Amino acid sequence: MLPLRLLFRDWRGGELALIASALVLAVTCVTAIAHFTDRLTRAMEQQSLSFLAAERVLRSSQPVDPAWLGEAKARGLTQGQTIQFASMISANDQFQFVSVKAADGGYPLVGHLEMRRAQDAPSETAQQGPPPGETWVEPRLLPLLGITLGDAIDLGDTQLKVTGLLEREPDRGTSLFDMGARLLVHVNDLPASGVIQPGSRVRYRYLFAGDGRVLEQYFDWLKPQLTEHQRVLDLREGQPRVASALNRAERFLFLAASLAVLLASVAVGLAARRYGLRHAAYVAVMKSLGAGRNKVLTIYLGQLAALTLIATAIGLALGSVIQAQVVNLMAGFFPVLPPPSHWSPLLVGLATGFACALGFALPPLFRLARTDPMQTLRKDWSNPDQREWLGLILGPSAMLLLIWWLSGSLAMTLALLAGMGLLVGGSALVNQLLVHGKLAALGGAWRIALGSLQRRAAFNTLLIAAFGTGLLAMLALIFARTALIDEWRMQLPEKAPNHFLLNITPTDIGGLQQILDKKGVSSSEFYPMVRGRLIAINDIPTKDLKDRPNGVRRELNLSWTENLAPDNRILEGEWWDKARKGVSVEVELAAQLNLALGDRLRFSIGGLEVEAPVASFRSLDWNSMRPNFYMLFAPGTLEGFPATYITSFYLPPQDKLLVNDLVRSYPSVSVIELDKIILRIRDTIGQVSFAIESVMALMLVAGVLVLIAGVRASIAERLQEAAIIRTLGGRRRLLVKSLVLEFGLLGCAAGLLAAIGAEATLLVLSHRVFELPLVLHPTLWLLGPLAGAVLVGTAGTLACYSSVRQPPLKVLRELA
Amino acid sequence: MSAILTAENLYHRVPTSEGPLTLLNNISLQLARGESLAVTGASGSGKSTLLGLLAGLDKPSEGRIWLAGEEITAMDEERRAALRARCVGFVFQTFQLLPGLTALENVMLPSELHGERGAAKRAQEFLARVGLEHRLRHYPRQLSGGEQQRVAIARAFASFIADDAILFADEPTGSLDAGNGARIIDLLFKLNAESSTTLVLITHERRLAERCVGHLYMAAGCAEQSASVSNESNLPEESA
Repeated sequence: MLPLRLLFRDWRGGELALIASALVLAVTCVTAIAHFTDRLTRAMEQQSLSFLAAERVLRSSQPVDPAWLGEAKARGLTQGQTIQFASMISANDQFQFVSVKAADGGYPLVGHLEMRRAQDAPSETAQQGPPPGETWVEPRLLPLLGITLGDAIDLGDTQLKVTGLLEREPDRGTSLFDMGARLLVHVNDLPASGVIQPGSRVRYRYLFAGDGRVLEQYFDWLKPQLTEHQRVLDLREGQPRVASALNRAERFLFLAASLAVLLASVAVGLAARRYGLRHAAYVAVMKSLGAGRNKVLTIYLGQLAALTLIATAIGLALGSVIQAQVVNLMAGFFPVLPPPSHWSPLLVGLATGFACALGFALPPLFRLARTDPMQTLRKDWSNPDQREWLGLILGPSAMLLLIWWLSGSLAMTLALLAGMGLLVGGSALVNQLLVHGKLAALGGAWRIALGSLQRRAAFNTLLIAAFGTGLLAMLALIFARTALIDEWRMQLPEKAPNHFLLNITPTDIGGLQQILDKKGVSSSEFYPMVRGRLIAINDIPTKDLKDRPNGVRRELNLSWTENLAPDNRILEGEWWDKARKGVSVEVELAAQLNLALGDRLRFSIGGLEVEAPVASFRSLDWNSMRPNFYMLFAPGTLEGFPATYITSFYLPPQDKLLVNDLVRSYPSVSVIELDKIILRIRDTIGQVSFAIESVMALMLVAGVLVLIAGVRASIAERLQEAAIIRTLGGRRRLLVKSLVLEFGLLGCAAGLLAAIGAEATLLVLSHRVFELPLVLHPTLWLLGPLAGAVLVGTAGTLACYSSVRQPPLKVLRELA
Repeated sequence: MSAILTAENLYHRVPTSEGPLTLLNNISLQLARGESLAVTGASGSGKSTLLGLLAGLDKPSEGRIWLAGEEITAMDEERRAALRARCVGFVFQTFQLLPGLTALENVMLPSELHGERGAAKRAQEFLARVGLEHRLRHYPRQLSGGEQQRVAIARAFASFIADDAILFADEPTGSLDAGNGARIIDLLFKLNAESSTTLVLITHERRLAERCVGHLYMAAGCAEQSASVSNESNLPEESA
């Protein structure tokens, strides 16, 4: 195996060390980031799945065909079941409206329950609910019913012993069925209680977990059989807000990984180019000794394959070890310890290794194979074949495909492409400005620095682009992260409403308002609410719509109001100032339904039909935690229908007992406690933020290492130049100053370009991917050149310092 | 004696911004097996270009060349490389040793490129013949200029597989001092005689040129002596 023997000998001689290091660095960074993001993403997914208490949920208003559950069992899926409904319970002649959840032994399949077995006992986790004959209740039910732990309560015709205080359920939601204090019972107690009668409003939830592919196949089989009263919930459908946060986090983390790939490729490209130039002489000699082009190609491709395999294997191992160490070191910072990663990050690392090697190292090798053997006689080692078109096409293409694969987003990939295109064009321009500038007139170190820049004009374009890429990546990451975190924080304002009151009758409004005012609690407006289903658009039944959006598959809460809420904005059409009829539709739902102003919408409300024209399209902020509605009618349209009211307010933890006062005074009013849900959402977002910070730190390390690799690629030339200048009487200090100036200028230029590229990238990303408002970032324009000058100046000077320190005679002899 | 190298009416032109530049103008020569030819001339006269064409490193713009009985001007690059592998050896002015390889590995390289077995043994033999058996594991940077050129000569002779071997030497003493140069010339001619190889060398040194059977003096791409080298040749004074 000649290629391997040559590889080994070449390696021993130090020629391949740089390219191998760059490849190892690339694979290490990407593997570590891929592992890290994979583990964090899966941790987030796992935490988010606990919101469902399962991996998939089949929700139904009727018991489902037992054959479906039998099929799931036959396929080896784990199952659980809950039945939820609202009911009255009693104890000591006290009655209370509660939200009952009856669960079997399988619930919860993901996550756990938290409960206490005594008032003063510590909280403990439970993997299933109470056994038959027992119940766990929310603590506030005890004073409402005047009971203590161990007492019995009556649920319909059955009596249950209260044996636990329920503190947390993984899947506690905000639907009608989750209103009121929770009573958790065993599903076997329901038949005897007789509380579920034909026509009762009951929600059946069938929980499933198991192998992802089996789950997928099972639901592919099941979905065509579902009726319109049945819905499958997965992570994304079950908790839209969490899913959206997760989606954004995924995109961001993959953006970071993509940029790491880009940085790594630049390092490999720089090293490979240098390798190609250094080996032109070798190939010319080999050819004169009788090696044909194919032989040369075979040798070098064999070497590259072996080098890539070895470097990738080392990178994969290092990346895996580093991420494991980082996660272990930071274990205390994670809300939950991320689970071990799959094999997929290794695949990402492997693909990266080969993409970098093939995309960036292959073109110089093809050029090498074309080396003219006559060079040995001409004693001319400058590579006459400077055609870079293969490198310009192959490398970026390989990277784009890889980034597209990693990010799964064409928009993100194109945004990066736009940034990179701008950068390469700009690099050439800035390089020309530097080369033809008047800075050399400043004399001394400036002249040497400018001379060095001029001598490497073409290579400096590449260096500026490379440094620019690194800085662009960092700047884009820093600013995108800042914007992203800000957006997230804005999603959940510090005093976001954390309680909803529902089922308020018109006569209760005055009294409730009084209680709230007395405690100094400011609530949102009291909105009327009527349940109705959109059944036709311009006389076309919605059931005939293709890909029926969620908004027409279920009943909607319809409301009306005189005043537009502060978080609502009319985008098209008129509010009720001029047109006092019609309905204002939330803009995204309107887009899904393909609505136009003036379209006639027909609703079915309690068996009666109401038709209204679309008067306006309205954007709203679901994250405001205020009551919001897809459909807002003009006052006077729905007043004839029986309505209940809804409001929301922020209640600080110390005023929590107010909830009891409200429920005691108005037993028919239901309270939704969002504070607990918000706490869980904050946990998730905290984890996401930490993940981003961690990836950022790894990216910065990768960026600095890549910059050093780029500078090291030109070390041989620099050694020679420094030796000549010192032989001619130049002092070491002068050389150091010239290095600082040279790399400072390069860094400044790269930083300026990076700022332009990052701003362009951010604008595209903000608009197309993250859906954030378009904002210019002036600090970026200052930070870019400054960071570039400091970073590249320091890294470049340090990397080249050895060229200044080496005795000139030694250098000249070795280079001769 | 049969001809091992024949060139007929060689022309070589390269494109420049000011139109085609003629590097070689109607060169013809013939060289028999075991003979030696010195090519002399001023810098830029076309010596190296001619050497490259005769060795099959490049193709002339016009004319034909036969090497070891095969017309290399009718061959593609791969076939010319295969022919070089069989019967062409090179010694360069600047040695052209691969710096990442030891002396032994440099000499092994041609045999390895041809996929031959016993490359190491053969390389050791040739290094012993040039007096470097004690420097096998040394890298080029650890060797003096004279030693490096001896390694290069060992590599050239180790590369011959066929009997019809021809050694092209491009100013083999150009980078050496007088003493080392003389020793290298002695070595080159000694091995040439021992191996019955044919020798074509470019030189500026009269002393070296005089040791060759034939001589070709070049000026501005033209040969002032263009004939079978087997004939008596006169060495012009100005080439010395």
